[in-house]
Amino acid sequence: MNTVLSTEAAIVKQSKKQKQKKAVTIALFVLPALLVYSVFILYPIVATFQYSLFSWSGGQGERTFIGLQNYTVLLADQTFWSALQNNMMLILASVFIQIPLGLLMALVLFSPIKGIKLLNVLYFLPYLMSTVAIGLLWIFMYDPINGPMNQVVQWFGFEPVAWLADQNTAMIAVLLVIIWQFAPFYMILFKAAMVGIPDELYEAAEIDGANGIQKFFSITFPALIPTIVTSSILAIVGSLKAFDIFYIMTGGGPGNATEIVGTYMFKQGFIHFNMGYASTIAAMMFILAFISVLIIQVFEYRRKKRGALL
Amino acid sequence: MKKFHLLLRALVILLVLAACSPSDEGSSTPDSNEQNGDKKVIDFWHIDPGVREEVYMEAVARFEEKHSDVQVNVLQIPNDDYKQRMVVAMSGGNPPDVFHSWGGGWLEEFVQSGQVKNLTDEDIDFSQFAEVALDNSTYDGNVYGLPLGLSPYVFYYNKDIFAEHHLEVPETYDELLTIIDVLNENDVIPIALANQPKWPGAFFLMYLADRLAGEDLFLEAYHRQGRGFDDPAYVQAGAYIQELVERNAFNPGFNGISYDAGQGRQLMYSGQAAMMLMTSGFVNNMRDESPDFEEKMGVFNFPALSEGEGDPTNISAGASPVWSVSEHAEHADLAVELIKELTSAETAQAFVDRTGTAVALTGIESSDPYVQTFMDMIGKANSIQFPYDQVLPPALGELHKDTTQEILGLTMTPEEAAAQMESKAQEELE
Repeated sequence: MNTVLSTEAAIVKQSKKQKQKKAVTIALFVLPALLVYSVFILYPIVATFQYSLFSWSGGQGERTFIGLQNYTVLLADQTFWSALQNNMMLILASVFIQIPLGLLMALVLFSPIKGIKLLNVLYFLPYLMSTVAIGLLWIFMYDPINGPMNQVVQWFGFEPVAWLADQNTAMIAVLLVIIWQFAPFYMILFKAAMVGIPDELYEAAEIDGANGIQKFFSITFPALIPTIVTSSILAIVGSLKAFDIFYIMTGGGPGNATEIVGTYMFKQGFIHFNMGYASTIAAMMFILAFISVLIIQVFEYRRKKRGALL
Repeated sequence: MKKFHLLLRALVILLVLAACSPSDEGSSTPDSNEQNGDKKVIDFWHIDPGVREEVYMEAVARFEEKHSDVQVNVLQIPNDDYKQRMVVAMSGGNPPDVFHSWGGGWLEEFVQSGQVKNLTDEDIDFSQFAEVALDNSTYDGNVYGLPLGLSPYVFYYNKDIFAEHHLEVPETYDELLTIIDVLNENDVIPIALANQPKWPGAFFLMYLADRLAGEDLFLEAYHRQGRGFDDPAYVQAGAYIQELVERNAFNPGFNGISYDAGQGRQLMYSGQAAMMLMTSGFVNNMRDESPDFEEKMGVFNFPALSEGEGDPTNISAGASPVWSVSEHAEHADLAVELIKELTSAETAQAFVDRTGTAVALTGIESSDPYVQTFMDMIGKANSIQFPYDQVLPPALGELHKDTTQEILGLTMTPEEAAAQMESKAQEELE
């Protein structure tokens, strides 16, 4: 009896020891990546929060600790709120227009029509171009006098529109470009997910006499929900962080019509020399993105817990 | 199996160690020692590509010839990235020894944080510079930068279009308004404006304020002595701008037209528009993009306002490059020598002959007729107005451009714009 116990204890001891060994090995393997991650990701995030508590012009100029004053100023800053509103528009456009469009494009690519290979390439092209090139291309597309967009508008008998110059149309004009640019990205995600749906499900549905629409809503769509969740996270975080295309196409103007949090942060930091305040804006962006991802994850967790199929 | 584990662990440790110690290896290679060991190194940053860069490189070569123990590391950074890169370099405590600026408020930010070397007591002949230009990099009587290029803002016009409609170069603002009406009747866009970047439109406010109230208005407002940015003259200048907009003086949608992408210039080249108020950089752009246009092109200064107090010889101009030395430069004496070479008569002569830009040095003549015209304008000018967004502190300069864009877009009244400027000025200026 005694011996049995001791051997059992020995086994437990040994496995504990082995586990420890394993942990060390794992830690060693993780270490290089962790180092890179800490230096390039964690440290800047912490530093941003630290800078946001200072009044600092950038450079080696003096840094004065002002506590949360930057945050109180920010919350009363009208430009920040209107910029955030523009980011919200961007999120709405991304989630409710861009993602469905990507889904639609993916569906088209799975349908038995001629020239599917050509469509495949055409659909994906916008995503392959660099944002700077796209920005410049669309600046010319929107040209009020010589631009193709206005020629189209005039064919339909409307007055030419000063797309990027009018405060009412500038935001819409840029949103259109973003949708055009990134819809193919979601298309690829959906396409990949659709390939993974087992054919048997469709065959079974056909035997049951389901039509195309029924098949979509009962099989394809539920199977794609995890991809839709991932896409939404990417779209929301991407929309909050957006900068480049706005910077190139409008620079936030005219007035503040297309100012987004990213361009506003850039202006405060690198043009107005308010590095502390710019860090506060960056910290706010981080918090907002973090919260939105958290919310989505909670919903997703609950959905899975409810026992959704896939 | 155990052996395998051990081996693996050893390998990982080795890799980590290797990753941590590249610096040892780098410095122990004999080659790099030989190259840099004896030579003193000066880092030099500028923003100009093309011919201007060639001119600088020649100056650097002359400098290196005179100082054989010095090596100059030249880095050309595109204009759009430069301001950001400089802020980062200054923040990181590793600024270049010699660097480009535009003088004015941007340089003053760095001067105030103790980053820029005071040049006043150095062995430099300041009399060779046009005084009005040197003022742009002088703060509290101390000089912090030496100007080389000077780019006046003038009206470029299409001589063919003017001849076709029997128009003369306008001497007064009223004549300009008449020309605008005639061109509109004949379906020609009177003035091309690419105002997405906001500075081209701001030229109009700057010039109109100068012509209305003279150069003292801005100086008083800037130094907080006497009149302010809410002076009736500024409101009036804004009203004149809105009058131009309502008269259809500009191409439609100008607030969305990017300057760098070239749509505004295209209107000029293609003859769709007749005039454009622009920096002297337009000459270079034109020679690159549409050389045929050169023979059709003429130049005139902003016309006089009959009821205005301003001197019509006054010009607005931008200074670029202005060379400065970092306060933290290791070989400060040599860095000063380098900026002297970069503003020497030889450099200036090459600059005016080849870059299509005038210089801030006196007594230089150019073989380029446009540059000579600009030099004459500078010589005749009673005063030079440097662009507000380069003179004023950045936040105020940006507000000036933002509000002027809104005045042009008719989304803000001149009174509102002037009031906003004045309240921001009270915050930003002592």
